Amino acid sequence: MEHAIETISLTKVFSDWWGRDKVIAVDNLNLQIRYNEIFGLLGPNGSGKTTTLKLLLGLLHPTKGKSIVLGGDGADPKVNAKIGFLPEESYLYRYLTARETLDFYGRLFDLPAKVRKMRIESLLDMVGLKAVANRPVGTFSKGMARRIGLAQALINDPDLLILDEPTTGLDPIGTRQIKDLILKLAERGKTILLCSHLLADVEDVCDRIAILYGGKIQAEGKVKDLLLQTDKKQFTTNALSDTVVEKIKQVLQAENAQYEVTSPMEKLESFFIKTVVTAQEQAQPTSGAVSTTHIGDFLTSTASKDSILDKLVSAKVSKETPADATKTKYVVPTQISGSKPDKELLSRLTESTEPTPPKPVTQNEKVKTEPVQPKTSEKEHIKKSILDQLTRRSVEQDEHREQSERNKSNTGDASDA
Amino acid sequence: MRSIWAVAINTIRQALRMKIAAAFVILLLILLPVMGVSMTGDGTLKGRLQTFVSYGLSLTSILLCLLTIIVSVYSITSDLKQRQIYTVITKPIRRYQLLVGKLLGVILLNVMLLVLFSAIIYSITVFMPRFYNPTETERAVVKNEFYTARASITPPELDVSKEVKEVYHRLKDANQLPEDMSYSEIISQLTSVRKLKRRAVSPGYMLPLVFTDVKPLDPNDSLFIKFKYDVAVTPPDSQIIGRWIVGDYQYIRYGEKIDTPIYDEVHKYSIRTTHEIEVPASVVPANGRLCVAFVNHPLNNTVVIFPLEDGLEVLYKADTFSGNFIRAVLLILFRLIFLACLGILGSSFLSFPVAILFCLVIFFTATFSNFVIESFNFLGQNLSGVYSYTIKPVIQLLPQFDKFNPTKFLVPAQFISWILVAKAAVIMVFIKSLLLLLIALLIFSFKEIAKIII
Repeated sequence: MEHAIETISLTKVFSDWWGRDKVIAVDNLNLQIRYNEIFGLLGPNGSGKTTTLKLLLGLLHPTKGKSIVLGGDGADPKVNAKIGFLPEESYLYRYLTARETLDFYGRLFDLPAKVRKMRIESLLDMVGLKAVANRPVGTFSKGMARRIGLAQALINDPDLLILDEPTTGLDPIGTRQIKDLILKLAERGKTILLCSHLLADVEDVCDRIAILYGGKIQAEGKVKDLLLQTDKKQFTTNALSDTVVEKIKQVLQAENAQYEVTSPMEKLESFFIKTVVTAQEQAQPTSGAVSTTHIGDFLTSTASKDSILDKLVSAKVSKETPADATKTKYVVPTQISGSKPDKELLSRLTESTEPTPPKPVTQNEKVKTEPVQPKTSEKEHIKKSILDQLTRRSVEQDEHREQSERNKSNTGDASDA
Repeated sequence: MRSIWAVAINTIRQALRMKIAAAFVILLLILLPVMGVSMTGDGTLKGRLQTFVSYGLSLTSILLCLLTIIVSVYSITSDLKQRQIYTVITKPIRRYQLLVGKLLGVILLNVMLLVLFSAIIYSITVFMPRFYNPTETERAVVKNEFYTARASITPPELDVSKEVKEVYHRLKDANQLPEDMSYSEIISQLTSVRKLKRRAVSPGYMLPLVFTDVKPLDPNDSLFIKFKYDVAVTPPDSQIIGRWIVGDYQYIRYGEKIDTPIYDEVHKYSIRTTHEIEVPASVVPANGRLCVAFVNHPLNNTVVIFPLEDGLEVLYKADTFSGNFIRAVLLILFRLIFLACLGILGSSFLSFPVAILFCLVIFFTATFSNFVIESFNFLGQNLSGVYSYTIKPVIQLLPQFDKFNPTKFLVPAQFISWILVAKAAVIMVFIKSLLLLLIALLIFSFKEIAKIII
């Protein structure tokens, strides 16, 4: 079995009350999703994304063709035990409290009481709803319900995570967190099928994507292959004096190249996160979800595929310079685990191997990165991480940069798997 | 199994927290005590008790039936409509487990509520006499005729077919058969004549009738001979004097020496009305074969006949009121289980309002099943071919709630035997309910959960 999910000319036609065919929702879909891959299913509204997921999970019967999920039928309880599913809306029992909800789903997985309790607490902590765990889910805002929905999808520590529009209704921190979580889970050998029309989400995390339209795949491939603009180059540097800029301009003019010099804007996402984290540090009360950045212990500790990575990551904690931690503290609290600052540095360093004229926003980051440069030797072990991306984004706006980084991450991924 | 349990608990939580059950519970909690105070019946204590038990149990039964239908239908259709089922069915739970879990939840909820309300009715019934200071006779009446569970035994059916045949052949040989009657009509008439003959006594003669399996709970109690006599010639005062001998058959028939006492008294009662004679239960011999003998006094100067249907029966206390009450409640539980299965069947292919309507129609038809079956049988005589293969089997599937109606037994303090309870359990639960559940499981297993019809 080389594919976690495979569909063979999967077709779904919705018919009217008289049995006449009306809408072809999915049309001869041939999809292959490999193990340990983050696959994004994109498409405008009504392009057949959700229908495809429902077909995979046995909620709908295909009109034609078939689908194989984790080597079996998506409706088979044995397969279901290894799947986490988050539907397009978190369909929850309004009368249950958050904790009861998770307990109910945990029981459906036949988890032993001890494991169940441990995971529920861990997940509540992770999605930031521990403080409201005893409130009925019906009183939750959409985003809070979404968080519980996510938690229920993770309670069985699934091998395959199927997420339908996971970030709808979530605040930017929640969105960020889900994306980090997806990356983290992929790092642990999980397969993730992500369904969304929010392109930024998909772009940030997915290894491969397929774009659906009219139930057919219109484009499919690796994100970097699809998006890389080979005919353009971009430099990002720290702040330069006008004279240096002039010099570079002259060089470029000599090359007869078209260029543009600007200071990049900070992404609203990272600015928002900064603001909220500051508010949290001041311990301002909230009746809603608490933004956390933990990822459930059991989700990060139970995986076995890349224990080497774990060792490497934990070993590097000691190398971390305290200065780093303090300087980057606004981005994310320390729970993320010690590995992150290092990854950040490394990815930063790898970026700098590209020919890049400096174009900085925060100068001190540059200063900070330089002393640690020798660590680049370990870069292939380091992949995506929360801090990595957060800080990177706060520095750079440029999409091409991010993409090239991710390419590196992906190569790292492959070597891990 | 654990997942079934999880679904069951969730269903109970749903019913309790969505306040579906609350409305019914509050209504009953208010109505039952009010009924206890306001129901007067015919003014006597017995009447009061009978009306209260009858109305209280019927009301509880009807409201719980409605609750069962609503909860079982709502629980499944809302899951489908609000799509919680998407997250549930994609967990490692089989579809049948989901339905069985829902059913278990509804039944558990019913058991809890039924225990609660029957406990309330029971306590009100038991404590009611304390509030009314009844006279000694009233006390005795309710003790003997209400707070008891009396089994009634009729004399075993006599086999007269041989005799009837003989008579028939004799008439045939003599060519005296009536021309305008069919064979079966002649036979049935001859049979009833023969049978009546066995229940008739000429003046001065004795009619011994044997009752088998008489097992009174307590030999110090009384048993009751309930009878009604008919006469060939009506006496001037419309009364008949008779000597009643009750005891061991061996003594009455053959005069054998026996250990148990013999009841032997003369009574004078009016004809064509039902009377009861109280007899000490100690007269019943150990083998349970009780002989009731009636000696027609020569002064009556007429033949006395005990009609076949309600001429003579022996009533005795077979169990306590509490035991009978528990069995009555069990009968209610069976109908609730049936309705829960019906609700699940309905919601497996119908939407909420339609499924409710479907269940209600069946519920009310089942409540009057006797009437329905009889009227269909009557109609069916004309269209037998089509009828007996289509509607008849479906009608037979109705659970016949009226046949196993608990108030029918509790009001006259009639003993509900465990055999009757077992019969109700087998027919209503193990055959009819299970059949409904299986159909529901079958439909639900192949159902397209996220189906969209345009």
